[in-house]
Amino acid sequence: MSRRLPRIEGEWIDRGRELDFSFEGQGFRGFAGDVPASALWAAGVRVLGRSFKYHRPRGVLSLAQHDVNTLMQAGQRLNLRADVEPLEPGMALEAVNTSGGVARDRLRIFDRLSAFLPVGFYYKAFHKPARHAGGWERVFRKVTGLGRLDFSTPHIRTPKRYDFTDVLVVGGGASGLSAALAAGQAGARVVVVDENARLGGSLGYQRGGDAESLARLRDLEARLAALPNVSLRPGTLAAGWYADHWVPLVDATRMTKLRARAVIVSQGAFEQPAVFRNNDLPGVMLASAAQRLMYRYAVRPMDTAVVLAANADGYRAALDLAAQGVRVAALADLRPQGQGGDLAGRVTQAGINILAGHGVLEAVGSGDRLSSVVLCPVDASGRPDASRRQSIACDGLLMSVGWAPAAALLYQSGCRMVYDESAGQFVPAQLAEGMFAAGRVNGVHALEARLADGTRAGCEAAAWLGFDAPAAEAVARTPGASHPWPVIEHPAGKNFVDFDEDLQLEDFFNAAQEGFDNIELLKRYTTVGMGPSQGKHSNMNAIRILARIVGRSPGEVGTTTARPFFHPVPLSHLAGRGFNPHRETPMHARHEALGARWMQAGLWLRPEYYAAGGTDKDECVRSEVRAVRGGVGLIDVGTLGKIELFGPDAGEFLERVYTGRFANLKVGMTRYAVMTDESGVVIDDGVVGRLAEEHWYFTTTTTGAATVYRELQRWNAQWNLRIGIVNATGAYGAMNLAGPLSRKVLSSLTELDLSNEAFPYLGLRQARVAGIDVRLMRVGFVGELGYEIHVAAEYAPALWDALMAAGLGHGIRPFGVEAQRVLRLEKGHIIIGQDTDGLSTPDEVGLAWAVKMEKPFFVGKRSLDIVRRRGPRQMLVGFELDAGAAAVPRECHLVIRGGGIAGRVTSIVRSEALGRTVGLAFVAPDMVAEGTALSVRAEGGVMVAARVVALPFYDAAGTRQKSTD
Amino acid sequence: MSPLRSSPLHAVLTARQARFATLLGMPVAVQVSNADQARAATAGVIDVSCLERVGLKGPRAAEWLAERGVPVPAQPNQWCATERDELVARLARSEFLIEGGPGGISVPAVRAELRAGLDGVYPVWRQDCALMLIGSCIPELLVQTCNVDFAAQPVGEPVVTLTQMVGVSVTVLRHSLSGAPAWRVWCDYTAGTYLWETLVGIAEELGGGPAGITAAWPALQAG
Repeated sequence: MSRRLPRIEGEWIDRGRELDFSFEGQGFRGFAGDVPASALWAAGVRVLGRSFKYHRPRGVLSLAQHDVNTLMQAGQRLNLRADVEPLEPGMALEAVNTSGGVARDRLRIFDRLSAFLPVGFYYKAFHKPARHAGGWERVFRKVTGLGRLDFSTPHIRTPKRYDFTDVLVVGGGASGLSAALAAGQAGARVVVVDENARLGGSLGYQRGGDAESLARLRDLEARLAALPNVSLRPGTLAAGWYADHWVPLVDATRMTKLRARAVIVSQGAFEQPAVFRNNDLPGVMLASAAQRLMYRYAVRPMDTAVVLAANADGYRAALDLAAQGVRVAALADLRPQGQGGDLAGRVTQAGINILAGHGVLEAVGSGDRLSSVVLCPVDASGRPDASRRQSIACDGLLMSVGWAPAAALLYQSGCRMVYDESAGQFVPAQLAEGMFAAGRVNGVHALEARLADGTRAGCEAAAWLGFDAPAAEAVARTPGASHPWPVIEHPAGKNFVDFDEDLQLEDFFNAAQEGFDNIELLKRYTTVGMGPSQGKHSNMNAIRILARIVGRSPGEVGTTTARPFFHPVPLSHLAGRGFNPHRETPMHARHEALGARWMQAGLWLRPEYYAAGGTDKDECVRSEVRAVRGGVGLIDVGTLGKIELFGPDAGEFLERVYTGRFANLKVGMTRYAVMTDESGVVIDDGVVGRLAEEHWYFTTTTTGAATVYRELQRWNAQWNLRIGIVNATGAYGAMNLAGPLSRKVLSSLTELDLSNEAFPYLGLRQARVAGIDVRLMRVGFVGELGYEIHVAAEYAPALWDALMAAGLGHGIRPFGVEAQRVLRLEKGHIIIGQDTDGLSTPDEVGLAWAVKMEKPFFVGKRSLDIVRRRGPRQMLVGFELDAGAAAVPRECHLVIRGGGIAGRVTSIVRSEALGRTVGLAFVAPDMVAEGTALSVRAEGGVMVAARVVALPFYDAAGTRQKSTD
Repeated sequence: MSPLRSSPLHAVLTARQARFATLLGMPVAVQVSNADQARAATAGVIDVSCLERVGLKGPRAAEWLAERGVPVPAQPNQWCATERDELVARLARSEFLIEGGPGGISVPAVRAELRAGLDGVYPVWRQDCALMLIGSCIPELLVQTCNVDFAAQPVGEPVVTLTQMVGVSVTVLRHSLSGAPAWRVWCDYTAGTYLWETLVGIAEELGGGPAGITAAWPALQAG
């Protein structure tokens, strides 16, 4: 701990709690409150990691979430951010991107080979031959590796939470805290979040050699503590912005989805590096990083420093260094005139030599750390005069040349940002409703101005919400906070723009030369800003460089899209507690007891089949099919959509939403119904029943229920017919009692006359079965005598039990979805969504009979009229496989003709009742004739012969479902 | 013997070895465990699906209720109580939910009258999974499961909220039970198990859990 400074007021470390940890196998000791990088820097370690591409040694750059090259592995925790994550006792840390350790990384050879690895080389070099692509991918993944994933890592279930506030203040620095104070004093509920472990932002570490800013922080903290309506949440990241001011807040343990009525973005700005040769050497760091080292962690960043400045912040950083005993050998100011004024006077008084109009030609390393810098004059356009170079020995170089606003949330909210030439940064020009900006993100950098700007934003937000807040004056932006060209070209290169991706200045010139001269194209080709820090330290310089290349201003070049999340967030936080709704029919427990094997149908869990007696699935399904064909079966069809329709215009409504005729449907009868959308495409089907003159009850497909109900409401919002629509899907259970013995089973439980005369096929009755009020529909989806019974959900289990008990003597079997699929296919009935696609019209799928074009109107009629004139695109036909077929195709296998695709199988099944394999397939319109030979390409490319046959395959006369027995 | 109604939560409460008693024609979990009272003080999740309820909608629904002396909330998304402690919730301008109390009420009669078919008044078949949430940690349970700011709803204001909770469409209202706040949650019968299991999982993390109906209405113990 030789580099620890004496105790500093406001430091974050707890000197009373020492923590032992290791890095690359070597033991170290830090303090509670340290981050790994600060503890290691305090111990004299300079190389904390290796760079992504060239495996160059890297140390502290920002200490502000951007030090991507210092990602570390800590046991099962991978890619731990050593610059911001708290040090924990016993941590065993390793740099993630090395081969053989950070000190002797074997892959550092890439640095010497960099001339052969220009930007975009991998796009050009590794795509041929294609068979080698997988091998190259593995090589790249290995050499550019991040952390090692341990699949045995326990699943951490992080809870999620919602929260609400009037004003969310994002960023707890000078402007944020003053904004919170103003809004809170006006009476608003305020939440202040800051990604740092403590609030205060730069008030805590950009002190300029005196105690003024810290005193301001203490004052703000005290005044905020007196406001019970202000919640301060350090260690919390506002990870993004979503519509209606939903902001995900990520802390150490969970993600909170907070909805604010107004949002104040006061996240500050990212300090930007200068671009010069070897600007990545350990010891070269942002000025704010050195200040964080000193004032947060009490670490002396270096013994002798040179400061490269282009704004007042650099001078303040030099004063901070001097105040903490660091010798500042020189302050090179890129600006020809320097800073001037009182600040420059204080720096000079501190014995620091100011070299105005100077820049860094290169940094020089000794071993893996900085040993000196070469300064030289720079003209107004940024051209260095290398002939007047001077070398200064130092072990630290601070860069303070400008800022990029942390405006991601503003961008995401739709804020229009413009480039302010005077401030040298993008600033908000037009904020979204309910959004406010304050401080550096707003182009305001001076301390007093930031405080005032925060007060203004807080008052404006509170007033916007209707609170009584005083009007506050606008605050002028700070000119010259960012240098327009902090770039020094050097013939030997290694002047890095993007430290995540090891992108050098020449890479941008090369990319532009290849035509990638638009910021979005440049980003994708060079990958600038696509590393873990997402361009926070590189995008602004990239924009400046591209602007100079293409002869435009940064504002004309523009920025890339800022997407959530703002910083990387642990996947465990995103996964969290999963809310994955599912629905169970009222008979769910009965199915479970009967050995149901479940399948998902939309949100529903349905019995696919019932496992019985150790037989396999196929045999279970076959036996269920046999039971229905030869005796009686019972299937739960409660997942069907169920809708009730009331009112004098209900018949007219149905005429409009379905293709068939319904106004003439008699009370007590049902009719098959097809629904098309405006383009004439089949979107649903079901059975419509008329319970009374003005009371209808109809079913939809299982997965279509919600959509159909929504569509019906939408249509009637336009038509304004006198109807009432009720979605009764969950309120009714439903079961289908099917098979030649179904009438016998049912008759034992009801006094209703079930004879064909009294209750004909397609009839609808309300009756009591087993003492329970039910609705009975005589329908035949499976092609046998059958009764679809609808019952109040709470009575459905009792009815199921009664039917099963009554059927016991008749060998009743419950049957699942798989058996139903076989049965319906034998009967040639289609399933919407399986035997139709997103373009299928009724004509194409054999439903022309259900379309009554003579009606004056129905949804989709006009389109169908047009489509009919064009002719069908494809036709659904029945087919059977030729005897002795080499293989059995599966659904979606292609029908081939002349080497081209002529269709596809939509359903196929081996039918025990028919003794053959039958199915449905889309084919070309000229292939529909009975007997047409089909060639289907099955698994493994095996061609299977089939032929078109008439539908239905089973009981073509329909006598079984109309049985009188 | 009349067939019994079945709660959507019967199976999951049976798996919890709850003690059942028949109430309003439905086996009801009167006690889930010996910790019922402690759970109810913290975060109790109680199945009250047994309560009779009826829904109605249509342009004349409000008028029809008023004609029968049923108090009608003045605005959509409000509720009120009848003299017999029935809840009348106005879910939309012309849609209502009426729920009786544990003592049984006139809901079946209203339902029967509606069934006859009326001009401009249409029955809505209500088969809800109905829950009562009570205990000091319910506000925390709500913010973990629902994106509505219930804390911002003034105490005593008869607000009915139609929203989503853990991905399920629900109707929520807060009322008072023996002077303490209680939240009523209704959802589709078929989503009941999922909603219950999810809420109970979170309630258990908060120190609560499922409780029998007597945790809400101790007087039912005797019955």
